[in-house]
Amino acid sequence: MQAAVRGLFSWMPLLFGIGFIAPLIAQIMQRLDIPAPAGISPILFGLLIGAPWGLLTVVRGRWL
Amino acid sequence: MSEADPVLLNPEVARPYLDRGGDLPALPLGPEGLDRHTRRDLLKEEMAIAKEFHGGAMWPYAVAAFSCFAVWLAFFPLAIMGELNLTVGFVLSCIFATGGYVTSHEAMHSNIGRPGEKNRWLNEAVGAVSTIPIVFPFSMARMMHLEHHYHCNDPVKDPDYTDEAPNALWAWYKTWYNRQPGVDGSIHHYKRILAGMGTPEAARALKETMLLQLVFMAVLFTMAWSGYAIEAGLLWWLPRHIGLSYIRFYLSWAPHHPREGKTGRYEQANIFKSRLGHVLSMGMETHMIHHLYPGIPNHRTRKAYLALKPVLQQRGVDCSAL
Repeated sequence: MQAAVRGLFSWMPLLFGIGFIAPLIAQIMQRLDIPAPAGISPILFGLLIGAPWGLLTVVRGRWL
Repeated sequence: MSEADPVLLNPEVARPYLDRGGDLPALPLGPEGLDRHTRRDLLKEEMAIAKEFHGGAMWPYAVAAFSCFAVWLAFFPLAIMGELNLTVGFVLSCIFATGGYVTSHEAMHSNIGRPGEKNRWLNEAVGAVSTIPIVFPFSMARMMHLEHHYHCNDPVKDPDYTDEAPNALWAWYKTWYNRQPGVDGSIHHYKRILAGMGTPEAARALKETMLLQLVFMAVLFTMAWSGYAIEAGLLWWLPRHIGLSYIRFYLSWAPHHPREGKTGRYEQANIFKSRLGHVLSMGMETHMIHHLYPGIPNHRTRKAYLALKPVLQQRGVDCSAL
């Protein structure tokens, strides 16, 4: 159980990118009335930023 | 080194006497130039003064902890219902997240209720609720903080040693850097220490830490995907980061810098002047008093310092800042 949780934590930045950063980006864009590029939806745009950013953080160990 | 050790064997202590061509003093002197009888008398005087500042009314800490936690919790439904000014909610959440450590800190030292006392449950409850906004369970906070006291400024054993930085700007940067997922600092460092301890208490603290972090993530993800990401960010995620950085800077770096080699009783923490003043630095200007006497509550350390100042000066403590 503990190993499973530890495994989950090692992937947490990716989950955070999808679970929080993506909708946060989308909702900030909607609040500020900024359209997503290339006609995609704000949430898709958020996922395109949040998921790779989170994955990169899993690999690099740092958000920036 | 014990009080009776021949400290004059230390060439730094002996050299002034030898350079003058004179004899060494009859009684061994400590690094501050005091013989052991003087040191013992000063310690007795110091303890008598410190005793006057122990205890006192601790209920305001409990009232502050519970009321701030209740208000902070209420922010979430209020924000979802659109009844909360998010700017006000954000500022107050930052204050609650940061200030919560102060109330929790009293509980870590059992200053609200000692084991066996009737107020013990209150002590534990204050500790438990105070650090939820910074996602830092009380069990872990207490264990790590007491380790910090036992091994203050030891590069290996002091859990807070990773906060050390050459200057204030770097210290602020490290408060953020140490929280990065792949960096062995802050809560990651604590988790590693707990895992290495191998005691049932450490295992429990580790479990509670993971549980609280999972709850934190679950709340953020649920709120975010329900259309309240900004609210979740401004009421919990960002205040937590601001609070942790503020706490790390003012409660760890500022009063202990520089840490290297400062493990003696009177050198573990500094007396310093904060640009933000006594209250906004959360009483840390006189953090040395807390390390000498953790039973003195935070709000009384300044008065205790002023009373103890002459004794501390005789001990060779630099009291020039305050």
